[in-house]
Amino acid sequence: MNEAPRDPSDETQNALAQLLMGIADDEFVIGFWDSEWTGIAPMLEEDVATSSISQDEIGHARALYELLAGLTGQDADAIAFGRAPEGYRHAALMNHPRTDWAFTIARRYLYETADAVRLEALSRSSYEPLAQLAAKMRREERYHLMHLDTWLRRLAADADAKARLASALRALWKDALAIFSPVPSEDLLVRGGELPEPMDSLRARWLEQVSAVLGDLGLPGPSPDDLAAGTEDGRTRRTDDFRWLHGEFTMVAASERGATW
Amino acid sequence: MSDGSPPHDRVWEVFRQEAEGDPMIHSGNVRAPDEELAMHYAREFYGRRQESNRLWVVARDAITELDDPDLLKPPFDRSFKRPGGYLIKHKLEAAKARAGAAAGEGHE
Amino acid sequence: MDDQARADAFYAHVMGGGKVEADTWMPDDYRAAVLKFVEMHANSELMGVLPEREWILRAPTLKRKLALTSKVQDEVGHAQLLYRVAEDLGKPREQMLADLMAGKTKFHNVFHYPTRSWGDVGIIAWLVDAAAIVSQQALRDSSYAPYARTMKKICWEESVHIMHGRDVVLTLMNGTSRQREMVQEALDRWWGPLMQMHGPPTDPATDRDLIWKIKSKGNEQLRQEFLAIYVPRIWELGLTVPDTELRYDEAEGRWHYTEPDWAELRNVVTGHGPMSQERLEFRRTNHAATQWVRDAVLGAPSAAA
Repeated sequence: MNEAPRDPSDETQNALAQLLMGIADDEFVIGFWDSEWTGIAPMLEEDVATSSISQDEIGHARALYELLAGLTGQDADAIAFGRAPEGYRHAALMNHPRTDWAFTIARRYLYETADAVRLEALSRSSYEPLAQLAAKMRREERYHLMHLDTWLRRLAADADAKARLASALRALWKDALAIFSPVPSEDLLVRGGELPEPMDSLRARWLEQVSAVLGDLGLPGPSPDDLAAGTEDGRTRRTDDFRWLHGEFTMVAASERGATW
Repeated sequence: MSDGSPPHDRVWEVFRQEAEGDPMIHSGNVRAPDEELAMHYAREFYGRRQESNRLWVVARDAITELDDPDLLKPPFDRSFKRPGGYLIKHKLEAAKARAGAAAGEGHE
Repeated sequence: MDDQARADAFYAHVMGGGKVEADTWMPDDYRAAVLKFVEMHANSELMGVLPEREWILRAPTLKRKLALTSKVQDEVGHAQLLYRVAEDLGKPREQMLADLMAGKTKFHNVFHYPTRSWGDVGIIAWLVDAAAIVSQQALRDSSYAPYARTMKKICWEESVHIMHGRDVVLTLMNGTSRQREMVQEALDRWWGPLMQMHGPPTDPATDRDLIWKIKSKGNEQLRQEFLAIYVPRIWELGLTVPDTELRYDEAEGRWHYTEPDWAELRNVVTGHGPMSQERLEFRRTNHAATQWVRDAVLGAPSAAA
């Protein structure tokens, strides 16, 4: 079911491209960080599960880059691998390295729940290819959410694990809120329906859902400082950890530009 | 299991169905502390390549095994319970031959 | 029936092609032999993850990233399958992991070497996996049935890896001259370990694994099979094998090659390979770092024996 993409105006197209790039980069970067667990996860069985989830993220990133490539005329791999660190538009949440298991579960929990709200909205996008892609992604994400819910509850049920999880959440909340940083020319996309709801509205829904779940488990929600922090640079601020990752994932491609791998 | 093993870890047997309508076939086992994680891991090991239509996860200690040869391979003849226990080839040939001869006699 | 008579009957059974399950009575020698064999195999899958794992982050395209992550994931899965077989023979997983990390048990030579380039990724996925598959296919009829069944699943899953490896190599060979040099350079480094991988020829009269049909082919037979299939495929790409003695002798029906360095093999598998200690240390560090997770979710084990 491949409808030809609507022919949006340049401005709308640019805004749409920025939106897509943000989501694609979110999936790409979190997929990369979590793929580091391959071979060293806490249990062998869990190792395979975590690897599948990170592969799903890369798969989603690929589909999004391809959609973006269709809009901009570039090549998906060129978009994925060909930008300087400052050119990536992932949320600040993804700047952090894999760190430890508590951090990984906390970050992933915050991300997946936010992504679920985002995808639900995007599945109603007036931009048909995005709506279809979002619907497909939601089906795979169900498994991620189930898996995370399982881990969240298990860790919260053990005093030591819960403390580690709480500490990770506290460290991550501010950067997690950056997932819903306003997109450039967002109002254009909201009026056109490409983005069915503004980011603020999605953020509010997400916070309500997540705070309830975490509250029930005795885990921390965002602090007043977290909530008050500005998000203008939520998708542009970068860290040395991300720059390191960027160095890794561009290393081979950069060794011989233009070569086929 | 003896020392060194975590107390809540259990073994779960996984049965998979290849395609709709196929029987559930035992395919292997995973370790997990409970049914929920066992299901996740069964999906990973026996379904992540889209190779299964359905999975069953059963705690190993829920399975009762029978492998007693006195019960499963008892010594007395039981060929009457199987098609192979009825050798009809020669009888059929004889019956056909007789019917053919009779038909020949009364042939119009 | 006394134990000796029982053992005699057991060996007659396996040597006649009979199968053994986890809860079949078995002589201690047989149990120990299967356990050692399977444990080393499991260890190898687990350690085999590490050389390739580095390149997961460095994969140069989305497709390669997915394929390589998936391949390494499969190796972890194989480790699980094999540890499960060994666990059901009576050795707890935690004990096997502890023994591996303490250097008490072994893993295959090839996983003690470094990877230096994307060319290594191709060569490993293609040729190292190929050599492993040659061994693994011969295990699908093992007298120890749980192992045989597991090997069938593993062989089915490994077939993808060779395709992936070959695809990586072919893409490089069809690429720039630097990419072709990268492959040749990697092959030059990996050939020695590959030739050692199946181990020195053993005497069929004393190789218990062979006699008891735990495995069905001897080391030299496996090496010959590997050479027969893969040397022509290497040569047809314009790659050279760094062994001037390598040739097929029509009259003898076998490949000739320079005698592998068996001293190097012994040295490496006893933990003195270039990456042996570093990789074991990496495992130890990560295992320790995730102990709290296992304790939280599986329960902390009772005081060690």
